[in-house]
Amino acid sequence: MTPATHFAEREHLICAVSRVIEEEKSYWVGGGGEPLYSILLAQRLYASGVQYMTEDGVIAPQSMMPWDPLMTMVASRAGYRALQWGTMNTAGNFAQLGYVDVGILNTLQVDRYGNINSTVLGEYEGGQGRRFGGPGGADTIAAQCWRTILMTDQQKRKFPERVDFVSSPGFLDGPGAREANGLPPGTGPWRVFTPWAMFGYEEQSCELMLMAISPFVTVDMVLAEMSFEPKIAPTIETLDPPMEEELEIIRTQLDTDGQTTGRGQWVEKRDGKYVFAETQGRE
Amino acid sequence: MEILAEGQGAYLPPDPDGFRAWVRDNKPRTLVPKMLNEHEAIEKFVSDGDYVAYDCNYFQRGPSSLIREIIRQQKKDLWVCGKFTYVALALLVEGGCATRADIGFVGFGPWLSKAVAAGRLQTYEYSNVVMTYRLQAGAQGLPFIGVRSFGGTEGFPQSGAKLVTDPFSGKPVVLLPALNPDVSIIHVHQADVYGNARVFGTGISHVDCALASKKVIVSAEEIIETDEFRRDPARTSIPHFTVDAVVHAPFGAYPGTVQGRYASDVQHVVECFGGTMRGDLQPYLEKWVYSVDSHDEMLEKRVGWKKIQALQRRETIREGYSI
Repeated sequence: MTPATHFAEREHLICAVSRVIEEEKSYWVGGGGEPLYSILLAQRLYASGVQYMTEDGVIAPQSMMPWDPLMTMVASRAGYRALQWGTMNTAGNFAQLGYVDVGILNTLQVDRYGNINSTVLGEYEGGQGRRFGGPGGADTIAAQCWRTILMTDQQKRKFPERVDFVSSPGFLDGPGAREANGLPPGTGPWRVFTPWAMFGYEEQSCELMLMAISPFVTVDMVLAEMSFEPKIAPTIETLDPPMEEELEIIRTQLDTDGQTTGRGQWVEKRDGKYVFAETQGRE
Repeated sequence: MEILAEGQGAYLPPDPDGFRAWVRDNKPRTLVPKMLNEHEAIEKFVSDGDYVAYDCNYFQRGPSSLIREIIRQQKKDLWVCGKFTYVALALLVEGGCATRADIGFVGFGPWLSKAVAAGRLQTYEYSNVVMTYRLQAGAQGLPFIGVRSFGGTEGFPQSGAKLVTDPFSGKPVVLLPALNPDVSIIHVHQADVYGNARVFGTGISHVDCALASKKVIVSAEEIIETDEFRRDPARTSIPHFTVDAVVHAPFGAYPGTVQGRYASDVQHVVECFGGTMRGDLQPYLEKWVYSVDSHDEMLEKRVGWKKIQALQRRETIREGYSI
């Protein structure tokens, strides 16, 4: 594979997540956007047999891409050539039974304990906050998949000390809180990916821990875009840049019009180093 | 059973005995023709103040024509089951029909913030699967259901859920109140005149919606002979005795898609979703709802058969949809 020299940071995000997807594990992915593209990219390059399901009970589809806008579920292309078609409770039951290893989700905000907000920015009480769609299937994914991968942007407002509203559970208030609230043991947050960094969690404290950064940023740049100081792993790895082969698939098969990856900054290789690019957009 | 925590949100009180009595007194056991037009069905079976569930949504095999008819008839004070819905709730709120919603996932954007801030919409917080489990309990005739999710969220205090000590294991478990909507509206691929119905492909909770609801309106792309059901009974999704009205509604999910039948109208979807993002849906309602008398008239005057045929051609996938 050939390292790319000009790419969108969100393309990099999708590539980074696709590389941690394991063929032997089962996945529940949010209905569209980056989570879906990550697993479809993995299927095409790294884990051809990996299976995923979506919230409407589509089990192991071979989706026909691209989709029409907003046709994330209950559309024939999304559920094409699945092994089984069910309903939302089919998906919920499989997760509750322990059949689903990893959930991949987008989030508006994530905090120190990996809690997820998709309900409101600002105050919920009084109705003056900015409202969003609610947890959808994320509450079930975050509660019952053995591991949860979150995808979001590296921005201070997206990493508050405490999310404005816990729509879906991370570690809640810390060790033991999930079990005390009736969630199955051994489940919970595993990774947070942004275009700039990869985080895990410190086992004992359940706190977010910086593990790796992208080749075009420094640790200080990542920390400057967080409202709290995370734990820092003893060794900070550097994530590989996207490969040309990965970008080819994203651009010609998945996000063909750049609707998802087009936002955010672009990166280029200049004088042997990855830096933010002067030219934005696909060439 | 010790209650460890409980939500303070209002919820439709479960009443399994009341539901059984309703079924005893209102649901015909024999094959009774139930064909109505959209106007008659909504007029007769959707009342002001009802708790309304619809399966899927305005863009994905939902009962879009009947949602528009509810708005046209100016129904009031509806409480909407907001599981996996993009814009239908927005349209019902803008149309002055809905004032309360249980939220799983709804179309986000400025319309929602505006409606909540202005007090036009009261929300109670759940999640999609939590709502479909509530419907499952309702469909089983049970008062509640235990789930291993939702606990510890900040939706929980805004809901009707309770965290209790499981009397069997001694561990904490979340209990959800069963949901038995006053009325469910379900768009299907095929039905007969008695209400036997087939949905092909995935759905959100169509069977549970039909079983859990006091009144059930089915709208169907196609009306088929009862003998067709007898020839292939495994494909019956919803049995006739749960259904109160059958509406023949070809392209009834428009502007949404029906799997295996027609694709969504992308231009229309963008126009409608754009209205929610701008926080202004009145022009949309005027054009697509108020200024036409019926679904047929909308198709004829606003859509046109040329476009309808193009949408049929664009839905190329046939496998699994009985064509």
